[in-house]
Parts: sequence; C-alpha cells; structure tokens
Amino acid sequence: MSFSIAIDGTDETFDCRDGDILLRAGLRAGLGLPYECNVGACGTCKFELLAGEVETLRGDAPGLSERDRTKGRMLACQARPRSGCTVKLRLDDACRPASRPEAIPAVLREVSAVTHDIQEFCFVGPRPAVFLPGQYALLQLPGVDGARAYSMANLANASGEWRFQIRRVPRGAGTTALFEHMKPGDSVVIDGPYGLAYLRPDAQRDIVCIAGGSGLAPMLSIARGMAGNTAMSSARLHFFYGGRTPRDICGESMLRELPGFGERIAFHATVSSPEFGQTGMWHGHTGFVHELVEQTLDKMLAQYEFYLAGPPPMIEAAQKMLLGAHAVPAAQVHFDRYF
Amino acid sequence: MTTTEHVIHFLCRKDEVPDNEAKRVLIADHPPLAVFNLSGAYYVTDDKCTHGEASLCEGEIDGVLVECPFHQGAFDIRTGKPAGAPCSMPLKTYEVIMEGDGVCIRSGK
Repeated sequence: MSFSIAIDGTDETFDCRDGDILLRAGLRAGLGLPYECNVGACGTCKFELLAGEVETLRGDAPGLSERDRTKGRMLACQARPRSGCTVKLRLDDACRPASRPEAIPAVLREVSAVTHDIQEFCFVGPRPAVFLPGQYALLQLPGVDGARAYSMANLANASGEWRFQIRRVPRGAGTTALFEHMKPGDSVVIDGPYGLAYLRPDAQRDIVCIAGGSGLAPMLSIARGMAGNTAMSSARLHFFYGGRTPRDICGESMLRELPGFGERIAFHATVSSPEFGQTGMWHGHTGFVHELVEQTLDKMLAQYEFYLAGPPPMIEAAQKMLLGAHAVPAAQVHFDRYF
Repeated sequence: MTTTEHVIHFLCRKDEVPDNEAKRVLIADHPPLAVFNLSGAYYVTDDKCTHGEASLCEGEIDGVLVECPFHQGAFDIRTGKPAGAPCSMPLKTYEVIMEGDGVCIRSGK
C-alpha cells in the first residue's frame, strides 16, 4: 500500500510507501525536497501538514524550535505518513537527487581498524552501489531504533560495496551495535544515497578538504573522486585533518595510494591537545584545523573549493573563518549540517 | 594621529517601512540591506539569510524575530543572532542613525 502526497501550490504529487518517511519518499520520486541531515537535527526539511495524518518519529528533534512547534511545523525527515497528505513546503532544485535513494539489504563483509576509535565497515549490497563522492547513507541497524547517517569513504562501484569509517561514540546505540554486536555475515538495511556535500567536478578551482573525527570518510571519498576524475586533472588538493591527540590522526596512508600524492595532493595534520600524546612525541602542527588551513594555503581563500566534515565545533569555526573573515562565497563551501 | 572618516548612508525614509515590516535597500559597496521597523524602532541587517539565498525582507516578522521564507530559520532582528534552525551563522547588523525622517547607517571608510 502507498499514500499519495500532494505539495500545496504545485502540481507535484508523489507516492509514499506505507511505513516510509515523507522526506525520503519525496527524494525517491526525484523531487527536490529541502534537507541536509535526514536525522532531525538541521531543521532544513520543515513543512506544514495541511491535510492528512502523519506519525512523528522523534518528537524532541532539535531541528524544531518551540516557535516551530507552536506553529504546527514538522520535520519531513521525522514524519511517517499514515494517510494521503497535502503538505506545504518549498521545493529546492539544489536538493533534487542525482541518483534517487533506495533502501536495500546489505551484508557486513569485513571490519578493519583505522585508528583506536575509528573502524571501517564494508557492507555489500545486491546491486551496484550508486552515489556521488561525499554522500552518505542511512543505516538501519539490528536492534537500534531509528536510522543512523554515515558517509561512504569509497566511490560508486559495480560490486555493490559500501565502505563506512565510523567513530565510536561512547554509549551511542548505533556504534555500540556496530562495534560490539555485529559480525561479518550480519544484515542491515542501507538507504541512500543522500547528502548535498558531494564533489563538484565542474568547479575549476583547487580543492580543500577539512576533516575531523569521523569526517574522514566523506573527505576521503571526495579525494578519491577528484584523483580519478580526468576533468579535474589540473586541480590540486589540500587535505587537512584535525584530531585532538596524536593517535587520532589518520587518512595519510589512504591518500598516499592516490595517483598524484606528493605532487598535486598534499596531506596536512594538526592536533589540538598534543600533551595527551601516548604513542611517542608529536612533531607536527598543533592547534585547530581551521587555523592550519589559514596558515597553510598561499592563495586567497576565495579561490578554492571547500569540503568540510567533522564535529560541529570544527564545522562552525571553519565556516566562520571561510565565510566571515575570508569572504569565501557560500556556494564554494560544501558540508551537510548534522547540528 | 589616525582619523577615521565615517560616511553616512541614507537608506530610506521612515515612512517607507510600515510598522512591523521590512524594506530591502540597495546602496553602493554593500550587500543588499534589510531595514526593519519594529513598532517605531528601526534596525538594519544584511538582507540575505546566512543559511541560503533567501531575502529576509520576504520573511515573516514575529516580535523581534524575522523568519526566513525558505526554511523558516530565524534571527533576532536587534542582534542578528540565529534564533531557529537551520540558521546557525549570525546575521550582520548595522548601527542605525536617524537623520530627520531618514534611516541611515554609518560605515567606516
């Protein structure tokens, strides 16, 4: 069974399978429903329900303010239609999916360590894995309520591989299931691709990736996509990684495998708390990653294309530095906001 | 000794901005500006939302907040502080000077 969803003030309607989520169903139909995070945090997918019935998944989602709730607004990523509906929202062409997301079963094939608290999980689905460099998918994990958004570290491929590099969150239900309970051979549902912070091959600018924590995965995907794209063969890539302590630093060994590393691809790392080094002395940069970006790049920052992924304070500091102090046009700064 | 020269930019007449509404104003060397009239108190901010390409003058004014017409994010008109997701970057505000019937801002030159 499915429900018909009409968008008020337009001729657009789409079908929502019983049990599916309003936002995802609209994107599956190829419509540009506005969104970023897909998990209730960013507040971009607000809508008003004019007719019909929906079930709200996460009632306390931080993406809605008290004012929003008073005005009866809802989040499309947290709304499960229970009947045909008429909704009021503004479609955005920038959110129209390049490849329509779908939910597929996938099997965990292998797990490998990236750092002391980041592991790479490789899942294999029944058909080619289709996504753009930098996008993410929603994982429905056994025994875990709600979906978790994780970015792919690899590139689209015919063998159906989805590789996620996930940082363990203490007491986090999603990562506890992944790190402690799941074994190779276990099944999950992967729903994707989603996300707007994907590689723009047409931008004729050098690229800067700024990563921290488990923001490594999408930035590696961007780097891999750029290195293999002949249309981007004249672009340079500066890859920055910020960690708290020396043992958090990662990514260089994977970047070294790319053609052009050391010539047009450079890796820069910094730690914000070098005194916590436990595996030898740290001789590299210290301080926050956005500061290292500012110190390292030699051209005006508005001449680069930026991709960001990492913890909210890192994103906010980088965003402030780029858009504020250096007047980089917002269209050249790409990230999905999970906060 | 250093002296700072200030330029006063005339934006519009007071009566061009009805009570609890906003007017978009274009002047040289500035991004588009929004002039707000909150019950007789005038405020000036950038017009473009810090989250997307929306004009805040087309948004709804709710008390001291302006709500972006695209994703209903909000800002405090008086301070520019973000007051509702998805807006997280502050909006630039300008010191307002009333010159007779004119709403003006000062900019250092």
